[in-house]
Formats: sequence, structure tokens, C-alpha cells
Amino acid sequence: MINDIRVGALIAYCSVKRGNKKTLIFIVFVLSLIFMNLVFLPSMIGGLLGLFTGFMQDYPYGDIVIEPTGDNTYINNADNVLKKVRAVEGVRAATKRLDVGASINHKQKVVGVTITGMLPTEEYEISRYPYIISEGDFLSDLSRDEIIIGAMIAGAGFGSEIYDNLGEVRPGAFVDVTYSNGVKRTYKVKGIMEGTFEVVDLNALVHYKEIEDVYGLEGKEATSVVVRVKEQGTEAQIQDKIREAGVNEQIFTWADKSESLIRQAMQSMGAIDTMSKIVSLIVGAALVLIIIYINVLNRKKEIGILKAVGITPRSIVLSYAFLSTFYVSLGISAGLVLYLSLMLYFQANPVTFYETMEVRPVIDPVLLVQSVVTMLTLSVVAGILPAWSVSRESILKAIWGR
Amino acid sequence: MIKVKDLKRCYGTGDTAVRALKGVSFEINKGEFVAIMGASGSGKTTLLRILALLDDATGGEYTIRGLKVSSLPEAERSYYRLTQVGYIFQDYALINEMSAAENVYLLSLMEGKSKKESYRTALEALEKVGLKGKHDRVPDELSGGEKQRVAIARAIAKKPDILFADEPCANLDTANSKQVLDVFKDLNEKYGQTIVMVTHEPWHIEYVDRVITFKDGSLLSDEKKVKEPGSVKD
Ligand SMILES: Nc1ncnc2c1ncn2[C@@H]1O[C@H](COP(=O)(O)OP(=O)(O)OP(=O)(O)O)[C@@H](O)[C@H]1O
Ligand SMILES: [Mg+2]
Repeated sequence: MINDIRVGALIAYCSVKRGNKKTLIFIVFVLSLIFMNLVFLPSMIGGLLGLFTGFMQDYPYGDIVIEPTGDNTYINNADNVLKKVRAVEGVRAATKRLDVGASINHKQKVVGVTITGMLPTEEYEISRYPYIISEGDFLSDLSRDEIIIGAMIAGAGFGSEIYDNLGEVRPGAFVDVTYSNGVKRTYKVKGIMEGTFEVVDLNALVHYKEIEDVYGLEGKEATSVVVRVKEQGTEAQIQDKIREAGVNEQIFTWADKSESLIRQAMQSMGAIDTMSKIVSLIVGAALVLIIIYINVLNRKKEIGILKAVGITPRSIVLSYAFLSTFYVSLGISAGLVLYLSLMLYFQANPVTFYETMEVRPVIDPVLLVQSVVTMLTLSVVAGILPAWSVSRESILKAIWGR
Repeated sequence: MIKVKDLKRCYGTGDTAVRALKGVSFEINKGEFVAIMGASGSGKTTLLRILALLDDATGGEYTIRGLKVSSLPEAERSYYRLTQVGYIFQDYALINEMSAAENVYLLSLMEGKSKKESYRTALEALEKVGLKGKHDRVPDELSGGEKQRVAIARAIAKKPDILFADEPCANLDTANSKQVLDVFKDLNEKYGQTIVMVTHEPWHIEYVDRVITFKDGSLLSDEKKVKEPGSVKD
């Protein structure tokens, strides 16, 4: 075996050293593209998913969200829950919210929305709502007849062509809101919020007390309690601690939420991701196989000669394993350089979705390692198979073709 | 040393079948230098390939040193090709991406010799065929005759039991042919090397002990030469 390795290495070495350099460069180039193809799209999709889950954290769910159990509409005694949550070590801030359905009416135009009732001063610590007011101001503790409207329904921001909107509503305008229980209120628009994200920009915000009034609640109900932690990454531990503190409602981390979201809303994206990976792998495998196969066919005669003078088939097969490992290693290295340069480029020049969502690709080391291992394994198999099949042919056939 | 009995080789099947060997029998003794002659297409190469285990007979049998080598398992056939026989191809059959030295060196390496020793053996063999100083050249940088001599060096470097040479001088001028034949003669006389050489040139006969002539896949004649004193140097 040791002789086989020495001879295989010598054959591979000579064929790289004296082989056609242009062919070598071409093969390496193609392999680097295959590698790129394997890792690039998943990085972009990863970036998109990251952006998406970031939104989930920044707006509806925080780091941890507590929701009513079973068929309950409200968390009962939300203040008690809040008290328990705030006492848990590692919790930075928590607040309660009331989400309700409503329709907004302005000059004959009507749109359906979710209105979130919130405690404005607490939100500064919880969400990015207070920071995305593009016109006007955010709610204050005294805001009672005031409303914040998402840019998409206000008709100001991007997306107003796609969704129903109120047609250029500005701060200071008055809108009529009909709540799901039939109660009607008139609000002055205090601000327009633009989060460049439908979940935000198709919503409206009012003071928590407003919803309480409208629905006749008693200061204890909430549809969700949103929690932020001091240290990212501790969500799961704190989730357990909150449970231990005696909170019997449903407790989710943002990861739980975005997982189910990816499964639901982002299902198509996930499917594209997996499909693109599978297709890349198949195309990559086929290309590696073709490249090595052509290479082997070109050297059929040589393989025959080697066998004829007593070189073992095992050394011959090994030499191709070495060769293809060498090609693919170079290809992967070149592909990595190409990939990292592209990553750098897209970090500086993010791809824009929906005109405003900037997607920067994320480098996932696990994916990279996976791809490198897959490519190498593939290459060794792809290198060995054709060499193995030719090395089993009769010597006459290999050398003289018949 | 070599016993051939009713050896047959038929290429293809049916109407297009070519009966390249129609049942030949002969024996070659250890230390003999045999020339095989005959018209083109008479089956000389076919015979040599079979004896060197590059091809299989379709009938008859043969033994080498009493061993039925053709029925050995493939791994042992490979080892036999590597260690017991040297084969010089009609068309050189060198590895184009390897230098002259590497072409020779490869085999000793396969045999398990050290790098250093393999290299030394290769240089010695190249020197013997008059290629001193050209060991670093690849086949493309060598003339036809030089390539043929690399092929010869490759075959003789391992000092095989039997050397098969398929028209080793076909691409050489008279001077170079003589040089090669002298090497063969030397191996034959000094080391008792058994040599079976296919040739077309009548003047080569003066170097050999015996001439076997083929015609249409059959043995036409088999003449042991009576050495004329002084015709070949001792
Ligand atoms: N692989 C093959 N398939 C079919 N026919 C073959 C094959 N190899 C040789 N032959 C035929 O077998 C016969 C003998 O061929 P062989 O090569 O043994 O002749 P040769 O005596 O070496 O001729 P030359 O002096 O031209 O080299 C020829 O008719 C040839 O066409
Ligand atoms: Mg011939």
C-alpha cells in the first residue's frame, strides 16, 4: 500500500507539473464557481432571514413574548405577570400590549389594520417603534385621542401602490377608527411610522388606555407581554426562569417565533434555499465528475501503459484521487477568495428589497465547512470512479482502443 | 523457460473474426536470444503480448518457468509484469508527462525500492542505452530513437527474467540499432538474460541464437543458428 501511495503521488505530481497549465486554470476556475454557487445564495437568504428575525425582535415579539394560553384572548392579570417577569434576573425590560382588529376611515377610504395599544414611555426600552417616526411624533403618556399610522396605509411610504391605503394622510389629519366590537373613535394622526416592513407599516398604534376603554377592560388584560433581555443569547435560560417564576401563559423566545415564522411565512424562502443547495450540489457533482472523467479519458492510453508495465491499478486510482483532491482544493481556495470578496462587496453595498429593506449576506461558518467537506468528498468519489472503471479495462483496450 | 503449446488467439467473433495465432507450439530455453520474424500481420506482436500477460490467449496454453502465469489472479499478474518481464513496445508507450528518468524510476519505486536507489538504477539504465545527460527530458523533447531507448531502459532497468522486445529498432538508424542490439547482446551474454525480439531486419539475425519465423499466425520455421566463429564478438 505504501508503494501504491508513493507511485500514485508521483504520477499525480508529474501530471500537475507537466500537464497543461491552461487546463488546470480552467478546471480550478470552474470548480471555484461551483463552490461559490454552493455558498452564495444560502448566504444571501441567511441575510434575508436574519433581517426578518431582526424585525420580529424589534417590533412584535421582543426577545421573549408571553401570549395567552389556549383559547383565551387575553393574558389575565398581565400586571402580575409583568411583576414576576421584571423580577427575573437577566430581564432588561418588559411591557404589555393589546392587539386588536379595526378599520380606519379617511375621506371615504377604508383600510383594515391591527391596532396595537401600548404604553409609549415603556416602548422606548422595548421596541424600535419610537425611533421610526418618519413624520410627526411618537405617542406620549398623555396621548389619548391620537394615533400613529404605518407608512404603507398612510399612503406615504413604499408599498402604498400594493396595499389599500388612506391616500396621503399627514400628521394633524383626523381619521375615524371602527373597532372590532363596533365602537367608533376619531383620532388625530400624531405621526407616521416607517419600519420598511409590512408587519409594522400596515399597522397603527394607540395608547394602551384607549384599547382598555374601547373594550371595557380593567387594567389587567393584555394580548402579549413583550420582554427584552440584558444579554442576547440568554433568551432560552430566561424563558425557563420566567416559567419557574410561576408564569403559566405561553412563553416563546424570538427564535421559537421566527422558526415557526420561517416554517410558515418564510416557507417558500426556506424551500428555495434547500432547493438551491440541492441543485448546486447535483450540478457541482456532475461537473466535477465530468471534468475528472474527461481527464481520465484523455489519459486512457497512459493508464493502459502504466498497467502494462506493472503499476498496480490501486496506485493509478490513488493518483486520480490525489489529482482531483488537488484540483478541488485549489478550486475551493479560489472559490473562498471569490466568495469573501463578494461578501465584502455586499456588506458595503447591500441588496435592496422592497426599495428599503437592505439585505447583507451573512457568512455561516457551518455552511462553509459543510460545503468544503461535501465538495472534497464528492471530488474524491468523482475522481476515483472514472479512474477505477478505466483501470479495470483490459490493457489492450486501454492502450490501443480495441 | 517458456513453453508454448498450441497457442491460439482470435480477435473478434463471427464473420469478422481474425485468427491472429492459429495454434503455435515451441519452447524457449533460459538464456536464449530469440528473434521472431515474419511478414506484417503474421501474429508476432500478438504472441509477445500474450507471453507478457498484456493479453489473453483464446486457446492452448503456455507456462513460464513451469508456472501457468495466465491463470494467476490479476494482482499477481500485475506483479509478474512489474518484476519478471520487461516489455518494449512497438510504439514506445512512454508516459508523456514524465521525464526519461521518471519513466524508468517509477517501476523501481513500485517495486518498493528507496527513492535514491530507484533514481540511481534509472540513471544507470539510461546510461546503458546511451542517454546519459538526457534523463530530465520529457518524451516530447526526445527523438523517436531516443524515446525507443528510454523504453528499452525502462524494460531492462529491473533486470527482468525475460525481455520481450517488439521491433525495438524500428525507429533507429543503423548506428543506434547496433548500439541497442549490443546492449541486448551484452545482457544476454553477461547476465544470461533471456530475450525474445521481434524484428524485420535480416541483419539483426547475426546477434541472435535462434530465429522463429511466423506466417499467417502459424510457425513457418524455427532455426537454431550455428554460430560462425568470429561473426559476433564474444
Ligand atoms: N486488437 C485487435 N483486434 C483485431 N484484430 C487485431 C488486433 N490486433 C491485431 N489484430 C490482427 O491480428 C493479426 C496479427 O497482428 P499482429 O499485430 O500480431 O501482427 P504483427 O506480426 O505484429 O505485424 P507487424 O509486423 O505489422 O507489427 C493482424 O491481421 C491484425 O490485423
Ligand atoms: Mg507487430
